[in-house]
Amino acid sequence: MNLITVAARNALRNKFRTTLTVVGAAVAVLAFIMLRTVLSAWNVAADYAAKDRLGTRHKVSFVLPLPKKYIDTVRAVPGIKQACYSNWFGAKNPKNDNDFFASIAIDPTCLDVYDEMLIEPDQKAAWLADRKGAIVGDVLAKKLGVKVGDRVTLTGTIYPGDWQFTVDGIYKAARKSVDRSQFMFHWEYLNESIPERRRDKIGWITSRIDDPTKGAAISAEIDRIFDEKDVQTATMSERSMNLSFMAMLSAILTALNIVSVIILLIMMMILGNTIAMGVRERTREYGVLRAVGFSPRHIGIFIVGEAVTVGLLSGLVGVALSYPIVELGMGRFLEENMGSMFPYFRIEPTTMILAVLLTVGLSTIAAIFPAYQASKLSVTDALRRVA
Amino acid sequence: MILMIPLAYNLRNLTVRLSTTIAAAGGLALVVFVFASVMMLSNGIKKTLGRSAQPDVAIVMRKGSDAELSSGIEETQVGLILAGREVKKQPNGQPDGVGEVSLVILLDKLGADGVSNVAIRGVPDNVMTFRRDVKIVDGRAAQPGTDEVIIGKAIRGRFKGLDLGQTFEMRKNRPAKVVGVFSDGGSSFESEIWGDLNTIRSSFGREGMVSSVRARLQDPTQLDSFKLRIEQDPQLGLLVMREAEYYEKQSAGTSLFITAMGVMIAIFFSIGAMIGAMITMHASIANRQREIGTLRALGFSRLSILTSFLIESMALSLLGGAVGAIAALGMGFVRFSTMNFASWSEIVFTFEPTPGILLSAMLLAAVMGLVGGFFPAVRAARMNPILAMRGA
Repeated sequence: MNLITVAARNALRNKFRTTLTVVGAAVAVLAFIMLRTVLSAWNVAADYAAKDRLGTRHKVSFVLPLPKKYIDTVRAVPGIKQACYSNWFGAKNPKNDNDFFASIAIDPTCLDVYDEMLIEPDQKAAWLADRKGAIVGDVLAKKLGVKVGDRVTLTGTIYPGDWQFTVDGIYKAARKSVDRSQFMFHWEYLNESIPERRRDKIGWITSRIDDPTKGAAISAEIDRIFDEKDVQTATMSERSMNLSFMAMLSAILTALNIVSVIILLIMMMILGNTIAMGVRERTREYGVLRAVGFSPRHIGIFIVGEAVTVGLLSGLVGVALSYPIVELGMGRFLEENMGSMFPYFRIEPTTMILAVLLTVGLSTIAAIFPAYQASKLSVTDALRRVA
Repeated sequence: MILMIPLAYNLRNLTVRLSTTIAAAGGLALVVFVFASVMMLSNGIKKTLGRSAQPDVAIVMRKGSDAELSSGIEETQVGLILAGREVKKQPNGQPDGVGEVSLVILLDKLGADGVSNVAIRGVPDNVMTFRRDVKIVDGRAAQPGTDEVIIGKAIRGRFKGLDLGQTFEMRKNRPAKVVGVFSDGGSSFESEIWGDLNTIRSSFGREGMVSSVRARLQDPTQLDSFKLRIEQDPQLGLLVMREAEYYEKQSAGTSLFITAMGVMIAIFFSIGAMIGAMITMHASIANRQREIGTLRALGFSRLSILTSFLIESMALSLLGGAVGAIAALGMGFVRFSTMNFASWSEIVFTFEPTPGILLSAMLLAAVMGLVGGFFPAVRAARMNPILAMRGA
């Protein structure tokens, strides 16, 4: 039996306290993993953004439209492979006002530009031929309770009135960043149904480029062309666009980051408390150990070794708890109900590893001070000490 | 009558093992701090938006739209809406109401990466008489019919171009110049840019349209008749709401999101801290076996032992709770700026405490102490006095 094993076995001396400590710290690990998963899920949209896609919007405000003729100009820019346009529609489900989902009027070629949305060829063909047709994400279809061939009526918030659609297709996701709760329909249907004054305007243009490395140059070129026109544009990569959206919520993200650090502090206090208690109760034993010839270093190893054992155990239990709770419970719920914000809510493997490493690291730090104190104690003092 | 063990016994015990007491109370303090801060933030959002509403004002938007941003009303309808007999008159005989255009523009954040949406409002000349609490706190009012704008004091200096004398671009070669800063008693208008109605409309291609109409009613009770008359006109296709109700809806999403997040965090955190308190109490009871045996032998009942240890753990948790709550009050100085989901624009909030929030934070601490101390206290109460005194 080597010293480390002895140290580890010390954790079993007060089984009840060790169990409580492990449970307490494991709950903290669980909370930490939950917060980090919220943060990483938020980043999914930027992390998995297509490298060969650019977005063009109105320079001043995203609520202002672009003239429809801009699409032809963009398509003619060298390096652009494909381009399509869309309008944010802002529909509400009349049966449930609080459901939030993205509803977008698209140009049919958008299905090729966004090729990570998988749709059966016959459904796609049916949609292309149907002026009032719609394509719905699988998660949204489940929530609305619709299947292919059903009729749906939605209320417009930006374009007033009741709008009738036929569900022609249901798409699935080929990439985890895909929002599976979108409702898409023909831009033409929207355009011909609204007052003259609002017609022939598009919300934004999405284009695919031949060479992803030339994204910045092509973006600059598009903006340069429109700089002379009435309406100026801002073009950027899909990643930058997603990042800039997230930056609007940066204060909430910062707050979550701070809170995840606080949970680590709480965890350290739980672990440190247990270690300090153990050391205090065993001071006389340390005196005996010193008296029979163990060096101060050994005492330190005993204390830190025990702390690392408890920390490792807590980390592992916490990770084991978090999988069913965060990934299977919360994750499923969020993906189904808040799909537009969290299309993919899963624990990253790096988060798990980080959680275990941090728990071990923090328990070591929490043990250093008691270990130092105990090893500095003179043999006679330690033997005299009453717990 | 139950013979009580003196309180001083418990309080002194807490000071004997100071480092352990600090660790356990510190954990509880952090939980209470996070809980109270989140509740204060959620309250701050509601209050900030709530202060934008005047009790006797009704807001009119297009039917189906849930925010000013997506609403649009023809200019010709504005006069019709304000002509109603329920609408109060200003001293000059004009109706006391405003038709405004509301948009968002993207501006570069200062002190942080990225851009964000800032609300910009095109206001008519009589806006200052309509919103009586609005005061120019720096600079001067904007000249009607020009490219001059005034900004709310909450966003001053938070975005590029948003400070006195600076400019930002609304459209090419037409910079808007900031000539004044206004306050409005901490409402969400303090996170907006106000410019001339016609200038804003023409800059953004919204000629002949407004986003919303607000009207001050003769009397708040006249809302129903005003609402009935306007909503029943199929030609108008409009929707009427009390302004307070509108802002309540505007804050609901974000404040619910933050509250839900906060409650979830508080639950997980409090389990951890509760276990921390439990460990401390268990250890302190194990160390005091002989004392407890002696107390029992002296005639203190099981119940008074139980009560005594519960009081000790409550004292521990209330100490932590008080530290946490005081620290949370310190967050009142921090300004929190984020995008409000309903209006898609950046709004600056503060953490606003209420007695209710502080009370529930202390209650949370008390519950943690009670639950964390219960099992150890039961164990202490069930000790056999003879065995305990022997130290077995």
